[in-house]
Amino acid sequence: MTSPGGAIRAVIRREYLQRVRTRSFFASTVGFPLLLLALVAVPAFLTARSAEAGPDLVLVDRTGVLEEAVGLRLLDLGLQVSHGDPAASVEALMEEVVEAGGGTALVLDAETLARGRAVYLSREPPNALRRFGLRHAVAQAALEVWVAEDDRRDELQALVAGGELEVRSLEADEEGELRRATGLALGAAGAFFLYFILLIYGAIVLRSVMEEKMGRIVEIIVSSMRPSELMLGKILGVGAVGLTQLMIWLVLAGSLLAWGLPFVMAHLPETQLLVDPGAILPGPGVFVYFVVSFVLGYFLYSGLFAAVGAMCTTEEEAQQLQIPVVLLVVVPVLFLMPVIEDPGSGMARTLSLVPFFAPILMFARVVVGGAASWEVALSVALMVGALGAVAWVAGRIYRVGILMQGKRPSLGELWRWIRA
Amino acid sequence: MAEAENVVRLRGVTKAFGRQEAVSDLEFDLPAGTITGLLGPNGSGKTTTIRMILGILMPDRGTVAVFGQRPGRQSRTRAGYLPEERGLYRKMKVLDQLVFFGRIRGMARQQAAERAREWLRRLGLGDREEARADELSRGMQQKVQFIATVLHDPDLLVLDEPFSGLDPINQDVLERIVLEYHQRGATILLSTHLMDQAERICQRVCLISGSRKVLDGDLAEIKRRERSGVVAIAFEGPDSWLSGPGVHEVMRTNGGARVVLEEGADPGALLTRGLAAGARFRRFEVLEPRLHELFLRHAGSGERRRTGGKG
Repeated sequence: MTSPGGAIRAVIRREYLQRVRTRSFFASTVGFPLLLLALVAVPAFLTARSAEAGPDLVLVDRTGVLEEAVGLRLLDLGLQVSHGDPAASVEALMEEVVEAGGGTALVLDAETLARGRAVYLSREPPNALRRFGLRHAVAQAALEVWVAEDDRRDELQALVAGGELEVRSLEADEEGELRRATGLALGAAGAFFLYFILLIYGAIVLRSVMEEKMGRIVEIIVSSMRPSELMLGKILGVGAVGLTQLMIWLVLAGSLLAWGLPFVMAHLPETQLLVDPGAILPGPGVFVYFVVSFVLGYFLYSGLFAAVGAMCTTEEEAQQLQIPVVLLVVVPVLFLMPVIEDPGSGMARTLSLVPFFAPILMFARVVVGGAASWEVALSVALMVGALGAVAWVAGRIYRVGILMQGKRPSLGELWRWIRA
Repeated sequence: MAEAENVVRLRGVTKAFGRQEAVSDLEFDLPAGTITGLLGPNGSGKTTTIRMILGILMPDRGTVAVFGQRPGRQSRTRAGYLPEERGLYRKMKVLDQLVFFGRIRGMARQQAAERAREWLRRLGLGDREEARADELSRGMQQKVQFIATVLHDPDLLVLDEPFSGLDPINQDVLERIVLEYHQRGATILLSTHLMDQAERICQRVCLISGSRKVLDGDLAEIKRRERSGVVAIAFEGPDSWLSGPGVHEVMRTNGGARVVLEEGADPGALLTRGLAAGARFRRFEVLEPRLHELFLRHAGSGERRRTGGKG
């Protein structure tokens, strides 16, 4: 007796190698992150370069007390600071420093000390980040001077540093507002990403089934192994391709966050005032659940896509028949924003438990931080249960459909296939 | 290994699709080591029968036994199947495909690759193992499909229209390989429309028509039994007497006719009728029927019993 394992392994191997060896797999695996990287990094790099290569800033302090405090902060922002003559007029500075020297100047006077107002001279208006950095530096320095004269300077120092927010809510939230904001973005981005790869890999399974059916290859194969074994091997093989691609992407993304973010922050010192890297990076649990969501979602949808592929005999039919399955993937995306904004609502809780929506919606809730662990466990259990049902129905449709040429089945015929 | 006398055995096998019966109450045996032709018009249930033998379809009623068991994993790996509708993975290299087909039938990768190379060389495709299937001509693709069928050295070879679309030279090449497998003791079931070829190759025939078996057995014996079935006639004069009682079909030839008689009809009655009508005979010869004529005679009767089919 031979075991079915060898035949299934052969199918998995064929599906895997035939896809991973293609140029398009390489292009999409490497090209997609490169594209994303370029979208983020190129502007940052250009800004960083312009800041680095930027000319000196001439600091003109007419107050006599702010020079050191402001100067140190400007150095922190990565600016080359030189000190100008306090007696120089704004017009003269504009002419000598900006027009002739191509540099910039910051003028501090009594107004600075009183209201935190300073004058910035430059050829072009500065970008928002630079504006923020300059304002922050000037205001903090002025505050420091004020505080230094006060008896309560130790307490006030904390206020100058920007204060602290301790969050107390009914549901545990130790992560703070910033983490929540980045969590929203991360949850939405991750959910959309899941939506795309589930659709893409579902479509690959559909094409693969159709290739064997329309290419009249399938009859040879099912004379050697059971249709359910062929379907399983195919789904596992294509899934392994998806997982390979996902892992490569996750490693690239991880290294980008580990090395790329510090690089950007080192070159754009202003960002350090805004972001604490520890607060925005997702934990490893999010990555794990992302992979879990992909795997379960992929198995759920690929079974349906395989059944659709087995029903069709032409491209046009495939376009039409896959619509109901595609809708199943699209619906959770329609509810994504309300679920992310209020992950604890009854709607969010209910929808994220529906097996076909869970891969996308439960993932979003996990990232945003609104899902209890029992909900996650229940959702995984429901998905596994649905998986069994989908495999059974899809397997029956597949078994009959792959050998049917000619017109596509009516709903009644489909029902007979499933019952047969 | 102890083998059942009949490698394939069908008893009372019926299979319907919806309300349409594709195969009705079919019985036949493939004795070990024989070549059997499965003959019948389009839509008569040949492919359905073959699919049940290979375990691709399950009969609604009746039993199918292959190597003494219900078709299953073991019979699958011992059978080689060339379907009528067949293809290859277009973008896959020839050798990779063959190794894949060998693997799903339980061969080791190394062994499958070695045997595939051997076969490719033998069929003149030795330099094409790295080519993709869609780079091959149609004839070459059919050779590759044939190799995929026999790669694992099956004991039972099921070939559904194996020669369709092949040029005469390649038909001849494959025919010789089929006979070679027969000599090595394999049992072969061959479905074909090419009667001359079936007549040349097959020891046994099973003729099905309109989902039913109409004739089955040793070809030489059938021919003996059906001997008085065909008459070659050359004559002058009136010809209206050619059709009449006992005549199944008349094929006019130059200066004469070839008459297929109904089963058990007396050729003498035809001769008497012709003489009475005033025909002057130059030739009246009772022939051993050709398979084609048996086919026409019996398939026709099946069709009359039950018109239609799965199309």
